[in-house]
Amino acid sequence: MNKRYAMAIDLRRCVGCQTCTAACKSANATPPGVQWRRVLDLETGEFPDVRRTFMPVACMHCANPPCMHVCPTTATKQREDGLVTIDYDICIGCANCVMACPYDARSIEHLPHYAYGEPMKSETARFDAGRLGVATKCTFCKERIDQAAITGQIPGVDPEVTPACVNSCISGAMHFGDVNDANSNISRLLADTESFRMHEELGTDPSVYYIWDGGDQ
Amino acid sequence: MNAPRDVQRFSSFCYNCVSGPDFLKIKVEDGVATEIEPNFDAERVHPARGRPCVKAYGLVQKTYNPNRILTPMKRTNPKKGRNEDPGFTPISWDEAFDIIAARLNAIRAKGLVDDAGLPRLAVSFGHGGTPANYMGTFPAFLAAWGAVDYSFGSGQGVKCTHSEHLYGEFWHRAFTVSADTPNCRYVISCGANVEVTGGPTAVIRHSDARVRGYKRVHVEPHLTITGACSAEWVPIRPKTDPAFLFALINVLVCEHGLDRLDVPFLRDRTASPYLVGPDGLYLRDPDSGKPLMWDVATSRAVAYDAQGAVPAVEGRHRVARALTVGADAARAEHNDVEGVTAYQALVDHIARYTPEWAETICDVPAATIRRIAGEYLEAASIGETIEIDGEILPLRPVAVTLGKSVNNGWGAYECCWARTVLASLVGALENPGGTLGTTVRINRPQDNRHLSVKPGEDGFMVQHFNPTGQNSWESEPTTRNIHRTLVPIVGRNGGWSQALGPTQLAWLFTEGVPDDWSFPKPTYPEFWFVYRSNPAISFWQTRLLAESIAKFPFMAAFAYTVDETNYMADLLLPEATDLESTQLIRMGQTKYMEHFWDYIGVVLRQKAVEPQGDARDFTWIATQIAKRTDLLPQYVQQLNRGISGVSPLKGEGYDFSLDPATEPEPEHIWDAVCRAATTTLSEGKECHGLDWFKEHGFYATPASRLEWYLTPTLARQGLRYELPYQERLMRVGQELGNRLHEKGMHWWDDQLTEYVALPDWHDVPGRWERALVNAGGRPEDFPFWLLTTKSMQYHSGGNAGIALMNEVSENLHGHTGVMLNADAAAKLGIREGDRVEVRSHIGATFGKAALMKGIRPDTIVILGQFDHWATPYIKDTERASLNTIAPMSIELTDATGSGADIVRVAVRRMDKAVAA
Repeated sequence: MNKRYAMAIDLRRCVGCQTCTAACKSANATPPGVQWRRVLDLETGEFPDVRRTFMPVACMHCANPPCMHVCPTTATKQREDGLVTIDYDICIGCANCVMACPYDARSIEHLPHYAYGEPMKSETARFDAGRLGVATKCTFCKERIDQAAITGQIPGVDPEVTPACVNSCISGAMHFGDVNDANSNISRLLADTESFRMHEELGTDPSVYYIWDGGDQ
Repeated sequence: MNAPRDVQRFSSFCYNCVSGPDFLKIKVEDGVATEIEPNFDAERVHPARGRPCVKAYGLVQKTYNPNRILTPMKRTNPKKGRNEDPGFTPISWDEAFDIIAARLNAIRAKGLVDDAGLPRLAVSFGHGGTPANYMGTFPAFLAAWGAVDYSFGSGQGVKCTHSEHLYGEFWHRAFTVSADTPNCRYVISCGANVEVTGGPTAVIRHSDARVRGYKRVHVEPHLTITGACSAEWVPIRPKTDPAFLFALINVLVCEHGLDRLDVPFLRDRTASPYLVGPDGLYLRDPDSGKPLMWDVATSRAVAYDAQGAVPAVEGRHRVARALTVGADAARAEHNDVEGVTAYQALVDHIARYTPEWAETICDVPAATIRRIAGEYLEAASIGETIEIDGEILPLRPVAVTLGKSVNNGWGAYECCWARTVLASLVGALENPGGTLGTTVRINRPQDNRHLSVKPGEDGFMVQHFNPTGQNSWESEPTTRNIHRTLVPIVGRNGGWSQALGPTQLAWLFTEGVPDDWSFPKPTYPEFWFVYRSNPAISFWQTRLLAESIAKFPFMAAFAYTVDETNYMADLLLPEATDLESTQLIRMGQTKYMEHFWDYIGVVLRQKAVEPQGDARDFTWIATQIAKRTDLLPQYVQQLNRGISGVSPLKGEGYDFSLDPATEPEPEHIWDAVCRAATTTLSEGKECHGLDWFKEHGFYATPASRLEWYLTPTLARQGLRYELPYQERLMRVGQELGNRLHEKGMHWWDDQLTEYVALPDWHDVPGRWERALVNAGGRPEDFPFWLLTTKSMQYHSGGNAGIALMNEVSENLHGHTGVMLNADAAAKLGIREGDRVEVRSHIGATFGKAALMKGIRPDTIVILGQFDHWATPYIKDTERASLNTIAPMSIELTDATGSGADIVRVAVRRMDKAVAA
């Protein structure tokens, strides 16, 4: 069976600190205003019975990705391991995918943007003109996952081959791994807890699970 | 993007807020820092598993921020003020040092203390001592210098958890108080926003606890991050927490009763059995002067340390002969007198504070208070034990935690007392699962609070109060915040005691003193060093405070960028920042929040990239200043003593001391510090120099969890916690009053009322309303309470100018605005995003409305601390700030010298731009 990489986020643990947001920007050198992932701050109820919930969101790497279906150039593809990818060389920046994604996960930047107007050394060192005018989004840090095939390490277990956001999470909320492996960390965690996926009713079959209860733990 | 030719990773730490150090690695590509990553090498030793919080990810931008000061600068405009362009002009380090040395040497020639008896040199550091983790060997220079005034705070007292620091150390050597989160099952959190301020260690511990099934009840007027992560939110009326806590005690002692409490703990580890006489003083043995207890076995009063006695915890008992000793050693003899146990006095005192009474004060239903008290008692599982490293200890997995503005300012004494009493009633004070202190700062030694526990008076731990006796009181202040004269409990332990004095009094009294002031008139310091501190933003009444700063004769600021304080500086000195400089610091069981670890050790911050521009490593700067003030030998001697390091450089079986006659190179200093630290930590088994640390990052040795708990240490010495009756504090307060009155001063009389044996409710929020009336305002014109809250993104890192923090913090609702109850806002015609004015009786501040349901309708919250007008980047965004419109006053200062972030305000929608 092919691998299917997925992320599990334990909402009981998330504190909305945005460390994953910042770590993603650090690891992927996204420009100001572009967040491949972020943590939503949601409030429900009426005073004084109010709940506030923190919910990390990003590309869901759907098994049935609407973004891929509307891509006129086949720039958006799906790998055998479940990762939804964008080939910047053939993306034309038409934004069909941006409109089709129900998770608001994609961005297109047409011009370079820097934190303080002019580029800093760190921004110059990592500037990639190939990312201008094309759709970008969370890649599940696919370069790291690809590295696993070379080193034999396990994504979600070994930090070197695990997405930066998962590595950075200070509350232990984020987990990563192969859900097609019943013995993987993530499979065991999901088996032991109650979880849901966002907008499952749309038939997207997303690869991000939100744990909300302990189940039989 | 071309692939980098050379990629390296450097291990380091982040200590930008008090919850450090946290570990990290810096990825450097072709000499340029590009990424911050966790340091998984430290996963085992670091409670947060080698991960830093969001702030650390801003350090790359911090390094290359184009707004940095990159060369020494001198002021060319002699006029100072917000509207005066400083005209900063680049100069060489030589010229900067010449200017500094000329002024410092002139001071040494005149004498370190001026005619008012105050140090001519003042130094201000920012957030909670964290600058010490970045300023290399500068402390050794200051120690070599001599008298220094640390009075001018950037927020100490008013922005820290001040009363907790002082009373926490008094009661249980707890400069900072925490739940024993890894073992705790039930937490009542009164405004303790630990998910924001406790760093990654607190975040992961509470996260684990939630999954484990612990319950936290969060009591705060608005739904903070921590409230959101709690099982229950109780939206209490601002500043009424003492009433809530009094009612919890009431339920425990008056409804559940002594039989349900931890009687052995109360009997043996507290002063509950001590007998209190009709004059409110302990009844003492007429011969020995020791406090008396009622011995149930012999039915007579005996000294507290009588062997074989079985003390009565409750009740009233007739004592044939006794002595009481009051303020100024006033003695009274008593015959056939009734003594009530201290516990009984507590019960009698607290009986009036029922949940029904508290409901009228706190706006929390009596049934809720009663239920929470019951849950707390049930969860305390009195009688349960736990084995830790072979020792059987009580397990009392309940805690009450207090947050800023609850544990500082008026009402804070009451809250700290009530919290500590609640812990002692169930035996949860300094026992596993319960309420812990995490460090000491105003008792010594600062690296081990257990060693500070020594026998003192009346069976309690020794205390080192500032004296209040007729012949021992410091009748003429030696610091501008008068800490030794005015605040007995803050003690006299160097910089920490000074900095914890009433810092707003230093700011107030340099501008003017009360009418009946009879101390020497305060002076401005002739020379002021400022580092990582921006009081013109972080204190109160900041516009006025900036004007005060402009009057200081000379300021040398170690400057990252221009800011609102160093805008008035005469010299700006660029130091190499986080990724550019070297320093070894302690880790584990250091201080603050939840920093009780399973390891102790040291961790290195190392130069990962070359300093930008002409920024220099702080250790080099400190050495040069010492050299040019002819203090090099003394400076090196302080380094050898261990100042600026973690161990003396010379000790039993090792000698890495530096030659006082030779100017040491920074790398040479830190190499010696590394070797001394590892030698002492390993008890001589290992010795590692700077090169080893550059490769490995840190050195750690296991530490027993028994070190987390103080009660066994007290038990071994037969000592008691000074609870629940505060006879000593009452006496000391009376003596302080006597001294001040003898000098004809009454301006501190209101504060003297805080020195009571059993605290009463005294309409705490009403103090702010009365202050408003006294200032000429009408309460009906200012119908809201304005409070502040903290942010992990900005908390104490001085990173308001870091673009990344601004970007990611905007993902949190209200983070950059004025948080209002949505229904209250609707009545005022205010919509989400509207520009609003928040006005107090002293001024206005402006920002965008953020409407939410999770906030009381009578409350407004603004995240601290903003309203910048000089700091690049952030000054171009409009951010409201409580600090702009909260007044400084003696009236709003409590007996410890503390205040709180709260002010009465009005709010209205602005239809067009209005100048602030």
